[in-house]
Amino acid sequence: MSTTVTEITAPARPGTLKILLREPAAAVSLAVVVLVILAALLAPWLAPHDPFETDLMAVMQPPGEGAYLLGTDGQGRDMLSRMLFGLRVTLAMGALSLGIGGVIGVAMGFAAAYYRRIDGLLMRLADIMLSFPAILFGLAIAAIFGPGVTAVVIALAVATVPLMARISRSTALVVLGQDYIEAARAQGMGDARLIWRHLMPNCASPILVFSTLRFGQVILLGSALSFLGLGAQPPIAELGAMAAQGRTFLFFAPHISVIPAIGIFVVVLAFNVLGDALRDALDPRLRI
Amino acid sequence: MLRHAVQRLMLAVPVMFGVLLVGFLLMQVVPTDPAIVRAGPNASAEVIAQIRTDLGLDEPLYVQFALYLWRLAQGDLGVSIINNVPVAHELASTIGPTLELMFASLIWSIPLGIAMGTVGAYLRGSLIDRIVMAFSVAGVSVPVFFLGLVLIWFVGFQWQWLPFTGREGPLWTWQGLRAVILPAITLGGVFVGPVARMTRTAVLDVLGADHVRTARAKGLSERLVVTRHALRNAMVPVVTLIGLQIGFLLGGAVVTETVFSWPGVGRLAVGAILSSDFPMAQGTIIVLSMGFILVNLTVDLLYGVLDPRVRAS
Repeated sequence: MSTTVTEITAPARPGTLKILLREPAAAVSLAVVVLVILAALLAPWLAPHDPFETDLMAVMQPPGEGAYLLGTDGQGRDMLSRMLFGLRVTLAMGALSLGIGGVIGVAMGFAAAYYRRIDGLLMRLADIMLSFPAILFGLAIAAIFGPGVTAVVIALAVATVPLMARISRSTALVVLGQDYIEAARAQGMGDARLIWRHLMPNCASPILVFSTLRFGQVILLGSALSFLGLGAQPPIAELGAMAAQGRTFLFFAPHISVIPAIGIFVVVLAFNVLGDALRDALDPRLRI
Repeated sequence: MLRHAVQRLMLAVPVMFGVLLVGFLLMQVVPTDPAIVRAGPNASAEVIAQIRTDLGLDEPLYVQFALYLWRLAQGDLGVSIINNVPVAHELASTIGPTLELMFASLIWSIPLGIAMGTVGAYLRGSLIDRIVMAFSVAGVSVPVFFLGLVLIWFVGFQWQWLPFTGREGPLWTWQGLRAVILPAITLGGVFVGPVARMTRTAVLDVLGADHVRTARAKGLSERLVVTRHALRNAMVPVVTLIGLQIGFLLGGAVVTETVFSWPGVGRLAVGAILSSDFPMAQGTIIVLSMGFILVNLTVDLLYGVLDPRVRAS
């Protein structure tokens, strides 16, 4: 079963990675994305200090001075270690919300494209969800469940569902109009098999491109909610929350806010550039 | 045109109803009793019971919802738990500053974004185009608070050029204008990128169209071709996309208000949620949602005005 799937997907995009690496900006962004993910995964082994351990003798130390490479924060905690662990929480928050919202959204979009009777209903639902910006979901869900990582993940997942549903529906409609779908149907292939073996693999590229770009946006939104105090709560190290905590010390030790903010910028920029490059590499005509 | 307007309105009404329903249910799940809140901390049990009857809190849920809508129609959004101020009163004083901030941000960022996008599309592939694109990708990737904190640190703190905390009066006064500059640069700064990007795509599409080729063929000057024929047609998708980005702007406004202590609805909402002031949180979320729905509706209608094909279909 799995071998057949690879047979279908493999010739569809020959050498995507090669095309991608030709563009220097794309190659750099791919490298940054890989490094960032590795740094987050390996945080416990890479971090030189305990991210929660306070050193009251070395509070607000600027980067490069003393024993701490990126300096220390207002409570004398090692910035580098907190950045590594913060990256972990930030990326996990983004991945979780994109994963949950993405799966629901794709299911919704495929269902709308495949079962045309419920198309109108599902797409009106998506329209209604789209009438609210993510920040409002964030505020409302934090108001109901109380601020925290869970509230952020729910809000961002909810905000991702209608976007993913639209993309996967329009892609699926194009694929479903192809002759090979007709052929598979004529052979008597069932709905589930048809969706799994033909629809899914052929819709993969646009969904992958959208997910890459969306991941950047989700990270940006999640860290903004954390910055506002609605997301990760102290003492959790999360990039947005760290930037918010550093605000108090902005005039004495700007690095406490600026380093996490730069971290978010670099991660989001890398995903955005990679997403654009992926789109060009997979299909130059494709515009989302 | 009228039919198009009525159609859009018909779609917006159930959404607004949904917002009110969610707002109402929000107050049902939170652990506060509105009667005790209204009565104040030192009220006797009888007073609370009286208020309970007045507010209809002993009625079934659907009656309560109807009463809630009735009170809302009269501008009664409840009372803050924290300082006993009517929510509607607080909202009335914060909506102005938020609109002011948005206006001050859009007034420079939309023209700049459109200009950058048009130049980028016209000089496609050139160095200038690449700079425009790089700038817009950076613009959609930068956290709003990063921009704000950097401006506060340099312009406000190091160089002491401009104030960076709070609002200091209406826009038309010198003090008020000075105070809005940094917040407006912050919020507008993250908006230039998306606008430039959307304009570039739209102008590129139009520049390849038949009517532009015809305009060139009949010997119009390049300036006229771009402004009259290309840009004007590209404006239709740009207006829609800018409208869709208002949500993005709202998110940015909430963060900008917090960073600069700007007394707007967004900051009020965040403060209310963080201090568990449920009536205030509910009121701010309802107002922000309604505002957003109204903007969407306006954009939809504007779209119909700009593009006659929409009206016909």
